[in-house]
Amino acid sequence: MGIKSPLYAIHKKLGGKFTEFAGFEMPIQYSSILEEHLAVRKTVGLFDVSHMSNAWIIGKDATKLLSLTTTADATKVGDKQSQYTEILKEDGTIIDDTIFMNLGDKYMIIPNAGMNVIVTKWLNSQAKKYKLDAKVEDVSRDFVILAIQGPKSRETLQKLTNTDLNSVKFFGCQYTNIAGVDCIISHTGYTGELGFELQINPPKKAEIVFNKILDAGKEFDIKPIGLGARDTLRLEKCFMLAGNEFQGGRTPLEATLGWTVNWDHDFIGKEALLKQKEKGSYEKMTCLICVDKGIPRHGCEIHKESKKVGIVTSGTLSPCLNVGIAMGYVQPDFRVEGSILDIVVRDKPLKAKIVKPPFVPKDWVKN
Amino acid sequence: MSDEVRDNLKYTETHEWLKLKDNKAVVGITDHAQSKLTDIVFVELPQIGKKVKKGDELCIVESVKSVSEIYAPISGKITKVNNQLDDAPETVNSSPYDDGWLVELEVENKSEIDKLLDAKSYKKII
Repeated sequence: MGIKSPLYAIHKKLGGKFTEFAGFEMPIQYSSILEEHLAVRKTVGLFDVSHMSNAWIIGKDATKLLSLTTTADATKVGDKQSQYTEILKEDGTIIDDTIFMNLGDKYMIIPNAGMNVIVTKWLNSQAKKYKLDAKVEDVSRDFVILAIQGPKSRETLQKLTNTDLNSVKFFGCQYTNIAGVDCIISHTGYTGELGFELQINPPKKAEIVFNKILDAGKEFDIKPIGLGARDTLRLEKCFMLAGNEFQGGRTPLEATLGWTVNWDHDFIGKEALLKQKEKGSYEKMTCLICVDKGIPRHGCEIHKESKKVGIVTSGTLSPCLNVGIAMGYVQPDFRVEGSILDIVVRDKPLKAKIVKPPFVPKDWVKN
Repeated sequence: MSDEVRDNLKYTETHEWLKLKDNKAVVGITDHAQSKLTDIVFVELPQIGKKVKKGDELCIVESVKSVSEIYAPISGKITKVNNQLDDAPETVNSSPYDDGWLVELEVENKSEIDKLLDAKSYKKII
């Protein structure tokens, strides 16, 4: 089996069922994916996402290194701000999507699960190649990452800290103390709800924080949330899952992440992206909602009049909408909002309509 | 974890149950199976009149994260399907042995039924 989270024993005690994901043995669910999913949309849920990676970026050229190796201009990311971005190869394809945090004294970057070695090596090799005074240190196993997400997340967490959480703005980040434990907090998440993420070191201190958050959230009926609901929550918001959506080499333009690209600075992969942009006519990430009953899955073909025009990268039943939803790459000529395509599930066409992301709007629970 | 096994049913090693009524057999999945699969959100039922051989795919049961094939415990022609599951697939979770049945088959060869597990033998494998 894979690497166990430092909180493995707690998950077991809470009735977690485990799955292997990117080399880690993590809880896929505790009670039920549907229940956990709705808990996050309606109140609050707590996730252990220690399978995600952590690396420090230090040195006087750390900002330059981040600007060079990501689609973001790191000089524009001030103290106590974090940034969602992608790390590209020269050919413009995505190595990983990530968040980096400017903590004032140094940066922390959060590569995806199992991507720590690849990303650390890549960044260090670019620092060397471009003669930058910057060093990237993989500290993935030194941190536990907790995510607390849902409309009641702020209220829950506020009970455990003196930091005014209203002052931690969207995508803000800073050092703090939660339940007596020093950690890094960021107003970020992967659910589309109000939420925070905590980076806790050393890992053994995370147990206290995890339990205290569950206690603090009791009045809101907080639930521990597994990777199953994490996936359905992000899919309803059309957030990318690196292993699915970038499989086989995709550029930010194909992945409809053009909004994360700052064109006013130089970065690795920029030339390739400019060429792709100029040439036009490439497959793009597309969101499809099923009209027929059924559930699209990763790898299903997308057809128009029995001709293949795309492929599903992620699909599920939407717990909020109770219909099948899918994300996938579709050829440009067929990517017309409102039009109907067929998703082929077990050799049968399933009618699905192209919609604008996200599938589930902000404040869904209020409407 | 619920693992109810009913005495009057026959079972397969792949966690289907079968109830014989004259020359018809009703088929579903066991309490153990539904509990392992967790939230069932979609059931794809076969066409009535379709003939299946023992061990063929009978229908598909999907949870949020998984797709599972349900196999025919015996050979026969499909005479009924549980259409209620189209709108309420979760019935397979809440009532696996009663309202959550899947398919009714016309029995082709009764000797196939004798080879299925009884409740006592099924209990041993779960």
